[in-house]
Amino acid sequence: MKYLIKYKIALFLILLAFNACKEDIPTSFDYEPYAYAKNDETGGTWHSVLIADVSKLNIPDPPAAGSSAELADLNELKSAAANPTADQLKAIRFWANDGITRWNELARELISKYNLPPSPNPDGTYSVPSSATPDKYPYFPFSHPTYACRALAYLSGAQYDAMIAAWSQKYKYNVASHQSADASIKLNLPISNLPTYPSEGAVIASVSKIMLTALFPLEKARIEALAAEHETSLLWAGRNTRSDIKGGDSLGVIVANEFKKRMGSDGMKNAQTSKAVSDSIKDAAFKRFGWSWKNLETPERPVGITPLFGKVKPWFIPSVEAVRPGPPPAIGSDEFNKAADELKNIADNLTEEQRRIAYFYGDGIGTYSPPGHWNRIALEQAISAKMNPLRLARVLAYMNYAVMDAGISCWDTKYYYHYPRPSQVIPGFKTLLGIPNFPSYTSGHSTFSGAAAAVLTHFFSGSKAEFDRIAEEASLSRLYGGIHYRFDSETGLAVGKNVAAYSVGVAALDGVD
Amino acid sequence: MKSFFQLLMLLIAAFGSLKAQTPADNIMMDKGRFCGALIYSNDHWDHYWEGTLKRTNGNLGTVTRQSVTPMFSLGLTRKINLLASLPYIWTQPSDGYFLGDKGIQDLGIGIKALLVNKHMGPGRLDLLAYAGYSTPLTNYNKDYLPFGLGLGAKEGVLRGIFQYQLDNGIYLSGASSYHLRGNIKIDRDYYYTDHPIYSNIVDMPDAIMYSLRLGAWIKKDLLNVNVSYDGMNTQGGFDIRRQDGPFPSNRMNNTMVNGFAHFYPRFAPGLSIFASYGRVLSGRNVGQSTAYAVGLAYQFGVWGARTEMAQ
Repeated sequence: MKYLIKYKIALFLILLAFNACKEDIPTSFDYEPYAYAKNDETGGTWHSVLIADVSKLNIPDPPAAGSSAELADLNELKSAAANPTADQLKAIRFWANDGITRWNELARELISKYNLPPSPNPDGTYSVPSSATPDKYPYFPFSHPTYACRALAYLSGAQYDAMIAAWSQKYKYNVASHQSADASIKLNLPISNLPTYPSEGAVIASVSKIMLTALFPLEKARIEALAAEHETSLLWAGRNTRSDIKGGDSLGVIVANEFKKRMGSDGMKNAQTSKAVSDSIKDAAFKRFGWSWKNLETPERPVGITPLFGKVKPWFIPSVEAVRPGPPPAIGSDEFNKAADELKNIADNLTEEQRRIAYFYGDGIGTYSPPGHWNRIALEQAISAKMNPLRLARVLAYMNYAVMDAGISCWDTKYYYHYPRPSQVIPGFKTLLGIPNFPSYTSGHSTFSGAAAAVLTHFFSGSKAEFDRIAEEASLSRLYGGIHYRFDSETGLAVGKNVAAYSVGVAALDGVD
Repeated sequence: MKSFFQLLMLLIAAFGSLKAQTPADNIMMDKGRFCGALIYSNDHWDHYWEGTLKRTNGNLGTVTRQSVTPMFSLGLTRKINLLASLPYIWTQPSDGYFLGDKGIQDLGIGIKALLVNKHMGPGRLDLLAYAGYSTPLTNYNKDYLPFGLGLGAKEGVLRGIFQYQLDNGIYLSGASSYHLRGNIKIDRDYYYTDHPIYSNIVDMPDAIMYSLRLGAWIKKDLLNVNVSYDGMNTQGGFDIRRQDGPFPSNRMNNTMVNGFAHFYPRFAPGLSIFASYGRVLSGRNVGQSTAYAVGLAYQFGVWGARTEMAQ
């Protein structure tokens, strides 16, 4: 009997020592709904990027004060907000502060979900995703880093122009909060004294729905359900009447369609080239420099990721040539050998901290990629500054424009120089991270990060050191992972910074930072 | 992909059998006796299941996982034994550009109790229970499957074991265990399973493992041989998506057949050698491993009057 007791005690201790309690693991950024730091009453006059004149956009007038339509609206709002259920309260909180955060998170989620390269066919060939048949494997899109930076630029850009348009209309109609019209209407969110018509939340829901559906067509049903929940949550919150929501939704449609038009004709559909075009780009580089990059997978992928992304229409840089860096060191030169030796030395002596950095910024397949990483950083900054949705959209838009321009510039550089990855030219060199399917020089992570850090520094100058540290680490992470030379990373960071200056220059025109 | 599991199962198989150095009524070591063993194992696969899709991967070729594991057991009493093991593991793909990994994996400790041991009908019935705990001893890379050394989780194990052995030495035994796993921390704070997760914490699914074994003691305990059918069922977890990499919280299942032999040379009392060979039959999110192991064990009395084998 004695041993049985001992046995039970031992078992109890084992279970105690064992971390049996499971924590709640966050699936989105949780923050307290907040009142806006500023209203930015003149925001409707800020520079819009694609819509020439936001004041000329037409939406229906709100119901006249004292009309029966207004009364019906207010009665509906009063009853919707009176007793929200637990699920409704959850939705109100989730979509609070107008949902840009949530739509951005959804974009990052979809980028992660679709960020998987096509699997090889049994005969060793590869199929290419097609927007004409998105549901046929390989599914459309393959949201690799260039697709990701472009998706986020169009989403955030459309959201921002739509917010400028919303502000323009809001201060034109100047409809006060519904609680000031009828104090008995319950408000389930912090007070906002932004004019309520049109609803800025509904503008965001509608513009985001259209952009994300165009970018991720297989997700249409889910996106539509989320947009419907977002708009309805504004009623449950006591924030917006049905007319506010309808007005906002129709404004979102107008703006989104302009962005969709540009998206359809920006050159992306030609960026993933045929093998013949890809080979001619490679041959041109070989003639010019005496080297060329090749895919190192088995079976070999015939075409790298978007060889002609460098020809996609940029937002603010005058041309890719204007920001293209000089050539990397010749293979076998002293400078090259020094960089290669450094990589071998890092790989042989990798510290745990270096490994952590390689993984933390890895942002490879199945993730939101470096542009997604920076969106997360930007949003957390903007929320802690209690930015209103116009300001918040502005930060994201200028950052994502710069990040897409950085991607375009970087991809131009990558395929212009067609520089081999370390494992292609250093005999026996193995890596911790998967080797990306595009040339080495310059580092995409570094270019994206240099650009994002510079734009964020413009908006949040107090955090410059932190942004620089993150960009630097993201850049170095590629050396630790064994997939980039130091000169890839350092040049990429510098080019990213240059590219960002064009975006910051446009933002600065508003004179409000 | 996680041939880690095959290794684990192999070790369990070897572990169980190691303790069965004598017939079942002597499965436990006698009071005061100590046994040390050193096991080499080799596990390799070139096919794996990506979710339920069986495939090869030219960027990996054949993935080989080898280990050397010292194991110890000590008879506290004839009915209570303490056990410990600590594998050193190294992994390597045959093709492609991924680095392998190497290092010390998880320290496992456990206590085993003989609860029932009685003669019934033409043979003898044993019922045993095992409770164990394992924890990574090094901060190895948990987010680097199939090359990572292990899943990185602290794990509590409860296992029930029965064995019925005829007086002529033929036996049937079975075991089933529940593996309770703690969350792990990885080096990034965002990952996607079938939904996005904004944390470096990974909620690890538990697992159930089972084994059914038919064997025999031959020539008065000169040789113990058996074949077994073993399986693992992860309780939850998600499938690897097309062309994605594996992840510690995948739903890893498999079934496996194993053969085992343990030889006790008469000329060297206390010394024994053993070997096992196994093959995965079916799986999900794991490699189709072929695995073998060889080991050497030596046991001797530490305290107490008796120094000979318990039997």
